[in-house]
Amino acid sequence: MIKKEWLSLKRHPSRFGAIIIMPIIMILLFGYGMGGDLSDLPIVVVSQSHGNLTDTTLNDIKSNNVFKVTDIMDNVTEAKNMVDNGKVKAAIILPSNYDDNTTTQKTATLYLDSSDQMASQTIVPVSQQLFSQLSIDQLQSSQTQTNQADISVENASTKNSVSSQINNVKSGISIQINRIYGNIKYIDFLVPAVLGMTVMMSCMMGMGASIAGERETGELARLFMTPTSVSTVIAGKIFAKLSVEMMRAIILLFAAIVLFNVVVKGGILQSLLLLFIGAICFVGFGVALSARAQNQEDYAQMVMPFSMPMMFVSGVFYPVETMPWIFQKIAYICPLTYLNDAMRAVMIQGHSLEFVWVDILVLLGFTLLFFLIGVVSFNRDV
Amino acid sequence: MKYAIETFDLTKKYKDFIAVNSLNMKIPNKSIFGMLGPNGAGKTTTIKMLTCLTIPTKGTATVGGYDINENPNEVRKLLGMVPQQVSLYKDLTVKENAELCADFYGVPDDEKEDRINELMELVDISYAKDKRIGKMSGGQKQKASLVASLVHRPDILFLDEPTIGLDPTTKRVLWDLIQDLNDSGHTIILCSHDMHEVDMLCDNVGIISTGNLVAYDSPRSLKDQLINSQKEEYTNLSNRLYKFKKDISSNNKILSDREKALEIQKEELFTYKEMSFLLKNPSDELLNYMETLPHVHGLEVNKNGRISLQIDKFDDNAVSDILKALFDKGAIISSISTQEPSLEDVFIKTTSEADLGPRV
Repeated sequence: MIKKEWLSLKRHPSRFGAIIIMPIIMILLFGYGMGGDLSDLPIVVVSQSHGNLTDTTLNDIKSNNVFKVTDIMDNVTEAKNMVDNGKVKAAIILPSNYDDNTTTQKTATLYLDSSDQMASQTIVPVSQQLFSQLSIDQLQSSQTQTNQADISVENASTKNSVSSQINNVKSGISIQINRIYGNIKYIDFLVPAVLGMTVMMSCMMGMGASIAGERETGELARLFMTPTSVSTVIAGKIFAKLSVEMMRAIILLFAAIVLFNVVVKGGILQSLLLLFIGAICFVGFGVALSARAQNQEDYAQMVMPFSMPMMFVSGVFYPVETMPWIFQKIAYICPLTYLNDAMRAVMIQGHSLEFVWVDILVLLGFTLLFFLIGVVSFNRDV
Repeated sequence: MKYAIETFDLTKKYKDFIAVNSLNMKIPNKSIFGMLGPNGAGKTTTIKMLTCLTIPTKGTATVGGYDINENPNEVRKLLGMVPQQVSLYKDLTVKENAELCADFYGVPDDEKEDRINELMELVDISYAKDKRIGKMSGGQKQKASLVASLVHRPDILFLDEPTIGLDPTTKRVLWDLIQDLNDSGHTIILCSHDMHEVDMLCDNVGIISTGNLVAYDSPRSLKDQLINSQKEEYTNLSNRLYKFKKDISSNNKILSDREKALEIQKEELFTYKEMSFLLKNPSDELLNYMETLPHVHGLEVNKNGRISLQIDKFDDNAVSDILKALFDKGAIISSISTQEPSLEDVFIKTTSEADLGPRV
């Protein structure tokens, strides 16, 4: 039996290749993509003040490997827009009085995209720690200055001003956290992407059974013997699959709402429409891939190197921005990344479909590409 | 239209492998044509090309007057196919599968129901019309497959091993059905390894070997051709041997290896024909008499009382001479049969001769 299995593998290079490649891909994904702490989260800093404290703060933020400062600007609205549009995870706003020695209480603001729960969970404590440390550093620095001031207190004509400085520093630096989508739980973060991922998996695997399986059993040959065109056969398969997948998506969405109290801020219909677009795209992927697969087993091995990595690099469990650059590049050529992004924007952030038009356009582009590949490579030669 | 199917240098190559090599054949309209050939001979590829499932590398064919390369959709409308492996949807019933096929062929809705019921009656599967294909026996599946294949009333029906794995009773039912379908005007192309089936049903037979058509005629003619060619070969060998032996005796030479080989070849070629009969008045005297008759080379009495004689294969007068002698001796014969060359013999001879080397 062992010999038979090995001979069989040897005679199916695609299966053998998948067996070798898959574990390597998986270990790379887990090791580099998911194994470590989050880092390099893109943020912007709004600096409306100038001075030593501002410079120190900026240096501390920039040197912290959790953050990747993409820009330092002085326009608060622009920075908030960048967060709202998902270009960065947060904006740290240093107010105009940040370096003002006369101000007793200095409050920086963390304008946070809380829809990315994983990133939020890292950014908030790191920011709090950073500003707390700044406070302590400032306090220690001022105490040193106080000691020096006490020695020369009698002849110092500037006594009042030094005391004033000490009092100001003692008052500390605080950070106010502004979560723009409220307090998001991990399940809220996870559900939109899991819905997308489930639709992806079932569409891609289902098309294998539908096309490669029917090719194996001869049902496809019978279909192609009729005057029905290839495109009609494919369209029939797609719509049949879509109807099943939409039913599955509706059940999943309602199960998430009922069981986990997931709030769909942007509307159920819009979320379902996104899932529908995603389903068409992944069914197309399945068609393109199964066009040449001779049987279900071959198809299963062919689909795995696409579906599994896509599941891990598309930001289902971890934000794409936190992955190594190579995975980020791969993520941008994965349709699931765009579906997840759109689903989170609608379900968590409450945006409308217009807001995610780029995601929708990319998904439709992928769909068109997959169908073209499918129809071209799909012939009646069964 | 005289021919349902005509092929013109029909060729299919897969990379360097020639699956079908310049096939030229004509299948008369409304006939039953048997397509024979060893496994891997090119039958399936030929059928795939004729049913527009694969495009020929070279050459073409007309099916029902339509060119398979130029009008594949018109060709498809004329064809029905019952594949060896039942390819109906296993989760659907007979009726549902037939309805689906009817939809694919664009059968009008108002005719669909009647046609399906009529076909289910014809193949005698109405009793199981709501049974799922996956739960049916082999014979039922084949009948269901026939219903689905005939629902659009195709002119030409391809049957690929339709009776393989079926019990003798179901086989007979299907044979009758094939004959009925032909009688009602369908041209039938029957692919089978069952020589008896082909011999009994087919008007014409084509034997494909190593991608080439190596024999084409009616089963009767093919068998006659076989016996004639064997007879001719036997006569030639006999003449050559006679000449050799004459030469040896005149020159006092011994038989060379070549002559010995010819002798063996002749002996191998000369196999006796069996003639068997049942006597109403068997007796030792009659049996002894039979053994002395010319043309008789052996006699055996079977347990059931049937007498088998080994007689000259190539002598056309042997049977009548023996019968005449027996009648003269007062024998009363209640049944008689003679062993004829079968289509299987034709198949073996033609395919073994047609080993044309590697198909590249």
